[in-house]
Amino acid sequence: MNPRLRAALIAAALVTITFQLVTFYVSGWPGPPPAPLFVVSTTVVLAAYLGTGIIAWQRHPADKIGLLFTLTGYAWFLPHLLSLHYALAFTIANGTAFVYQGCLGHLGLAWPYGKLRGRADRIVVAVNYAWNIANPIVANLFWNPRVTGCSAACPANLLLIDDSPRLYQDAGQIATLLSFPVTAAVIALIVVHWRRSRGYARRAMNALIWVSIPVAGYITILNIADVVDLSRYNVLIYQAGPLLLAAPPVAYLASAMTARRARGAVSSALVSMEPGPHPAKLRDALARALGDPTLQLAARTAGAASFTDTDGATVDLASLPAGRMVTPLDTPGEAVLVHDAELRHEPELIRVAAAAASLALEHARLQAEIQVQLDQVRASRARIVEAGDAERRRLERDLHDGAQQRLVTLSLAIGIARDRAAAAEGADPDLKALLESASKEARAAIAELRELARGIHPAVLTQTGLEGAIQALVERSPVTTQVRAVPAGRFPAQVEATAYFVVSEALANVAKHAQASAAVVTVREQAGRLEVEVSDDGAGGAQAGSGSGLAGLADRVASLGGSLTVHSPPGGGTRLQAVIPCP
Amino acid sequence: MPVTGPGTGAAGADDAPTSVVIAEDSVLLAEGLKRVLADAGFEVAGLAADAAALLRLTGQIRPRVVLADIRMPPTQTTEGLEAALEIRRRWPGTAVLVMSQHVETQHVVELLAGDPRGVGYVLKERVADIAQFTDAVRRVAAGESVIDPEIIARLVARPRAGSPLESLTDREKEVLALMAEGRSNQAIAQQLWMSPKTVETHVGSIFTKLDLLPDAGDHRRVLAVLAFLRQ
Repeated sequence: MNPRLRAALIAAALVTITFQLVTFYVSGWPGPPPAPLFVVSTTVVLAAYLGTGIIAWQRHPADKIGLLFTLTGYAWFLPHLLSLHYALAFTIANGTAFVYQGCLGHLGLAWPYGKLRGRADRIVVAVNYAWNIANPIVANLFWNPRVTGCSAACPANLLLIDDSPRLYQDAGQIATLLSFPVTAAVIALIVVHWRRSRGYARRAMNALIWVSIPVAGYITILNIADVVDLSRYNVLIYQAGPLLLAAPPVAYLASAMTARRARGAVSSALVSMEPGPHPAKLRDALARALGDPTLQLAARTAGAASFTDTDGATVDLASLPAGRMVTPLDTPGEAVLVHDAELRHEPELIRVAAAAASLALEHARLQAEIQVQLDQVRASRARIVEAGDAERRRLERDLHDGAQQRLVTLSLAIGIARDRAAAAEGADPDLKALLESASKEARAAIAELRELARGIHPAVLTQTGLEGAIQALVERSPVTTQVRAVPAGRFPAQVEATAYFVVSEALANVAKHAQASAAVVTVREQAGRLEVEVSDDGAGGAQAGSGSGLAGLADRVASLGGSLTVHSPPGGGTRLQAVIPCP
Repeated sequence: MPVTGPGTGAAGADDAPTSVVIAEDSVLLAEGLKRVLADAGFEVAGLAADAAALLRLTGQIRPRVVLADIRMPPTQTTEGLEAALEIRRRWPGTAVLVMSQHVETQHVVELLAGDPRGVGYVLKERVADIAQFTDAVRRVAAGESVIDPEIIARLVARPRAGSPLESLTDREKEVLALMAEGRSNQAIAQQLWMSPKTVETHVGSIFTKLDLLPDAGDHRRVLAVLAFLRQ
């Protein structure tokens, strides 16, 4: 909004309000000033319309709603020129007594953005204006103020053409009768608007319905009071009654505040959303925040011809139903918000919502991307461990088929040579000893190689599975070790190897560090996973820190999507638990 | 059948040489084994390079003894063991000596699960001590059980808290180990330089201390002692 226009409007409003207040007390009228309640109520209504007009103008400079409030405010002011004791002011005030009612009808039918919706609206608004302008003018043609008994103190009615109380009374009654259908037409159209409203506009229209009841009611009572003697209710009708007319500005300001809160609601809706790709939840949160239950969040995947909303329905952006509007989102993929067209009057709100939705979708996309990368890293880690295991198996097999086999053959040959040397007559006595020592060396080499091969990859694991392999570990454990349970069945090579190395490392740690007198090994298959536990009664205080064998073990277990935990309170023994998923 | 001493030939009950089929995929080693066994008076009736050939040869030749490497083509896991079990099932009279680069109690349990008579399981490297090796072949041929001392030593050495094993004397432990290897009382007496009577006394004492059934025959007691050691 142009700041000059704003300044001018504020200045005009202040001047008008001040002027009205002053003229209530400083005027040429004899007698006491008007009742304080009347002063308060008329001033409140004036200030409410003028103030709301400025606020609405500022909020929606492109809409006419601010102008309508402003005009209604000044139309409300015009009759109060009556306070000036001059014929011209007096005549203008009387002649424009009901213009504000025309404005109110316009305001109601143009609610909430100042735009009339169709021909019926325009006709009714025009009739309403015409009626409320013509009616007092016609009546004033036959009204001499002196009938009120003010005699010479009255300013002159400049419109008077025929001082006929009879005509004045007849005109008044016809006017009253005709005013009902006009008011009824306005109300009927408001109800039609309300019933047709969907989505975001519904909230504003609900408020209008509530506002229309006191306003239409008050105007109807005013009309009735023209023909029926309701003078004993004068205080209520003319002094307190105008306050009812403040309902539209109050409702408008309330909805403006709601819209402001909605912007906050958009961000809090996002904050309260769980992380993850949940477009349906995002839609729900935005719909709640925007107050538009019809909101759709639609997206088009690369290469797809049409948009699909979060319910899976196809959304044809080219032929949207009337009253729908599309706001594109700033996302790498194609995504849009399809919402109630009325929301275009809240560009800031829709901008915030679109930004929030873009952010959430981008977040979900990044998360999905990270998930994919994480899956890839997991898979590659598993492959690395698997490749390592395969390499270990290959090494063990090569040792077995190669060096070990050759050494056995060699030691057999040495054995034959030794026996021959022993049996031969007159053989070199040193030769037998030499061959004996060679044989010993060969056997020692075989034994060392066997242990080396076992450390690389235990053949018994491949051959018989966990049961035999863990039995073999336990037999070699220097600490009394009990096997409480080991499943006899076979598992995927990765799972078996991992479980084996967990037990192997744990028992090695028990022997090396735990100062334990006993250990227990338990392996159980439960609900698609292998639970491995090795506990001892030693000193505790073990840590799966970096550089320890346990850290490497934890990596290995994690590569299969499992977990390794160490419970090792000082003095309380150590319990190593691995859970290995086992498809 | 009487236990024959080392180096006294390999004659069976009918005085014909004991026939052996060797299953070993390393040609060099197979040839070496053949030579050693022939030198020791055995009749090497066939060589097989894998389990299928072994079963075929055994069916054809019906040897007295089958000497099989536990790991053979194609999978290099426990074909020899499985073939041995199959041979024991199909031709119960055929003795089987399974050789392995490493010895595991799990294999012993599988191998001895049926009738332990005429079944043996030894480290392959035992071939370096030719006398000991041919003796093992002879023992399985004679219906004894032969368990590699490596396994027994490991089992006996296992630490165990509150086990009755702790109450055995060192001598009794030696006797127990030899029993577990499948030795007869007579063989234990020879090995430990004691009279068979003394061995019997030790065996009785061991059985009492370990709470085992005393009347078990040689082949039964192998299982009893092994089962006890594995606890």
